[in-house]
Amino acid sequence: MSGEKNIIEVNGLKKAFGANVVLKDVSFEVKKSEKVVLIGASGSGKSTLLRCLNRLEDDYEGSVLFEGENVNGASKEKLRLLRQKMGMVFQQFNLFPHKTVLENITFSPIKLKIANSQAAIAHAHELLEQVGLSEKADAYPQSLSGGQQQRVAIARALAMKPEVMLFDEPTSALDPEMVGDVLDVMESLAQKGMTMIIVTHEMSFAQNIADKVLFMDDGLIADSGTAEYIFKETNNTRTRSFLSKVM
Amino acid sequence: MFDFLKQYYPVFVEGTAQTIIISIIGIMIGILLGLVFVMMRLSKLKFLSYIARVYIAIVRGTPAMIQVMLIYYTLSKVLEVPQIQFLGSGLDRVIPGSIALGINSGAYTAEIFRSGIISISNGQTEAGLSLGLSDRTTMFSIVLPQAVRNILPALGNEFISLVKESSVLFYIGVQEVTAQALGVGGTLYDFVPPLIVAALIYFVLTFILSQLMQLLEKKMGRKYLRSN
Repeated sequence: MSGEKNIIEVNGLKKAFGANVVLKDVSFEVKKSEKVVLIGASGSGKSTLLRCLNRLEDDYEGSVLFEGENVNGASKEKLRLLRQKMGMVFQQFNLFPHKTVLENITFSPIKLKIANSQAAIAHAHELLEQVGLSEKADAYPQSLSGGQQQRVAIARALAMKPEVMLFDEPTSALDPEMVGDVLDVMESLAQKGMTMIIVTHEMSFAQNIADKVLFMDDGLIADSGTAEYIFKETNNTRTRSFLSKVM
Repeated sequence: MFDFLKQYYPVFVEGTAQTIIISIIGIMIGILLGLVFVMMRLSKLKFLSYIARVYIAIVRGTPAMIQVMLIYYTLSKVLEVPQIQFLGSGLDRVIPGSIALGINSGAYTAEIFRSGIISISNGQTEAGLSLGLSDRTTMFSIVLPQAVRNILPALGNEFISLVKESSVLFYIGVQEVTAQALGVGGTLYDFVPPLIVAALIYFVLTFILSQLMQLLEKKMGRKYLRSN
């Protein structure tokens, strides 16, 4: 991965909700094709950080450069273009319940004229095959299991041909037996060279997939490094204490 | 008891047609104003939200009869409507009357829309925005269709009230079904039978309307299983 240029650069990010300061001063960068995993206790700021990247959380200080362009302060139109390049997968899937699986996937590419409807539908079928749900194209989301919904959500995000995928605790709302299917899809995505930023509590998955692990504690990146370093070598007492509780 | 109908049924038919027409216009204006005012109410711009709140508060807090009269007398001063006769009433009364019904209904419809919109999880908006969709597309293609489905029963109630309350246009001389019934009553020196006929007509109209709403609910519900 070294030698590649940074696709995302976060500098001096600070975010507060009223008096509650959630991110104190966060800086990191992500290289193309890199897999960055954010770990840390609930309330440490991981999800907020992820949501600042595509400005679902607004009104923060600092800069988020996506391919050199600042997300923070981008005009509405510019922001929409930047968001198209950053696919996002949510803990609660957030599929559109009034649209079929296929319509969920094709709606934005068609609406935003990324593809004509024929191409969008063909691409959607490819994506559904990729996530193992070819036969569900005409189903409505409510008839799918949580794991299936989340895989559709991944396909929906991929339909925009993003350059980065943001995962906000993608398996936290799933029954345990569903988690594996979703992680498998993410892993195959990783193998295809997708740049991924993942907030997760699945530590063995994190260890497996991460090129870089950021351990967040109290609004700061308290420790960071390779998976090997964070999970085995670090002497940071907070990292060790967190990992001893969750593993 | 109802022998008078033989002679007077055309009057009731005319009144019923008038009631249906002013109700349809009122409902359409109400939906339109409801949409406009709910967008204002939920706007980040404080003054738009404030205007919507004031409108809703005034309409909800004052009698429909007074609103209708105020709007009729004000409009008739500023707006020159030809006094063409239409189903027994002047258009100069029918048009301001229907607008008044719509303005009244718009306030309630706006609140119904608002309850529907806030019932849709914020995650739906975020999912739309994260895909690069605009605020407007996210609202009109993602949130509103789901909201409308959730509020159909409440909207149905509002439409039914509007049909019944259209009788207040009697006060500004629109010959809708209540006015016609009272007219017939005056001629017969007996108000009860014609008023019973009018009541039956309202009942049939609202019953048909409620059946139509149920049909619409079923049609929209069939598209996807119940979401919670």
